[in-house]
Amino acid sequence: MTDANVKNNENAIVRVRDLHKSFGKVDVLKGIDCDIAKGEKVVIIGPSGSGKSTFLRCLNLLEQPTKGEVWFGENILTPIDPYMHPQIIRLSKVYKNLLKKSKVETPDLSEEVIDGAVIKIIKEDNLLEKEKSGAFKKAIKRLYAEKIMNVNLARQKVGMVFQHFNLFNNLTVMENLTLAPVKLKLKTKAEAEERARTLLKRIGLEEKANVYPSTLSGGQKQRIAIVRSLAMDPDVMLFDEPTSALDPEMVGEVLELMKDLASDGMTMVVVTHEMGFAKEVASRVIFVDEGKIKEEADPKEFFNNPKDERLKEFLSKVL
Amino acid sequence: MFDLFYKCFIEADRYNMYLEGLLNTVIIAIGACLLGVIIGVIVTCIRIVPKTNIFVKILDKIAQLYVTIIRGTPVVLQLFISYFVLLVSIKFVADGLIVAIVTFGINSGAYMAEILRGGILAVDSGQMEAGRSLGLTWFQTFSKIILPQALKSAIPTMFNEFITLIKETSVAGYVGIKELTKVQSFVTIQTMEIFMPLIIIAVMYLIIVLGLQYIQKRIERRLTKGDRR
Repeated sequence: MTDANVKNNENAIVRVRDLHKSFGKVDVLKGIDCDIAKGEKVVIIGPSGSGKSTFLRCLNLLEQPTKGEVWFGENILTPIDPYMHPQIIRLSKVYKNLLKKSKVETPDLSEEVIDGAVIKIIKEDNLLEKEKSGAFKKAIKRLYAEKIMNVNLARQKVGMVFQHFNLFNNLTVMENLTLAPVKLKLKTKAEAEERARTLLKRIGLEEKANVYPSTLSGGQKQRIAIVRSLAMDPDVMLFDEPTSALDPEMVGEVLELMKDLASDGMTMVVVTHEMGFAKEVASRVIFVDEGKIKEEADPKEFFNNPKDERLKEFLSKVL
Repeated sequence: MFDLFYKCFIEADRYNMYLEGLLNTVIIAIGACLLGVIIGVIVTCIRIVPKTNIFVKILDKIAQLYVTIIRGTPVVLQLFISYFVLLVSIKFVADGLIVAIVTFGINSGAYMAEILRGGILAVDSGQMEAGRSLGLTWFQTFSKIILPQALKSAIPTMFNEFITLIKETSVAGYVGIKELTKVQSFVTIQTMEIFMPLIIIAVMYLIIVLGLQYIQKRIERRLTKGDRR
């Protein structure tokens, strides 16, 4: 994993820091750092069970991360992870004690070097677990109160497309598209329907407005699921294997719509097995394996010159 | 045959006894159904709401205990307990009908809760995820998306429970409530006939159940409009 992408990117819409997720005793994500800038099209690939879907689902908190932070713009969605904030670590008693000790033991080192070393030790050994310092706790609380964003508000701006479409079965296509904007009072019913009709026209399914999802083909369902997200005017769109449940002849129409979105400048994060799509559309490809980002690069570099051994092996199987 | 029917049903205005019994049975059944649905919905909500705090967890345990006890004991026993023990011990001289409604309602609530919970669990979890990913709250998604689908799949089982409940009210006669089945003993005392009153009563139950089946079909037809078109 390259450190270059971990530095704070001011343009990033989504910032992920040291993301961990475990289900019971199974560690699925083991520390992922990733910035997604406005307009980027990030494609995530990896073997099944590697944690790529879980990673995507952590971005809008459909899965609650076990550790680490997820930032959406200027706001945080997860609790504060103190290890991510040196200025907070410096308030802890552990830090102060270690600093004092280190200064005595190694008086010839500069303050900066000692500070860095102490913070590193604290991070590596998880020394903040028992921290009781009031200033430390207050700092966490203050930062959280300042930066927290209601997850429901964030999700309004983060569209998600699922492998199994998940259209609302008890509602018509039109109702599927208008439910959330109307219910969340973002649009009036008339406005939402107007927008829905425009979106349906765009995908050539305006005559399906009043039918129920069960009458649609897989490709139609997925395209409607995509415009259902678009109806919320999201800042980012997450795609969780959007073509994996489709019959082969329907994959094309969904990918076409996604390419269309990409050329409109939508910020996209796509988990997929469609290598052609990755090559053509991605601005960055990420290889996730065993809960970590093993490699990330622009598609040319990624596919022509892979460095990670696991990635080479993976690409030799899928290409 | 007709003479027998005349003797057991029309002679000396005996049909009034049947009608009184029928009325009581219907009152108990409707009251218990409503109470059962209300309790069922509340218990289901407690059981499926995300367990975010200790208060909900405790309520959930109580709800589980309620379902276990009610389903684990015969309804006749529950009726005896509420009629003899509760009524006497709290010196509250209530109408027998009210005791029956409350008892059967509490009993039915436990079954209804499990039926509704089953219906909700049968709804694909992706539906909730889709709602949440659009920014809808848990409750908004639940009420607009999950519950309508759950009710649709639970309707046949719910009506099964209603039908069972109506027939179960026949044990209310054990605590001296003049419901439909009890009428047989009054008629038999007057006429010395056993068979005909039983047949008449059986037909009356059957008619109620047929009516319920008709309602069920109507509702199902309305709810399945989303399935094919």
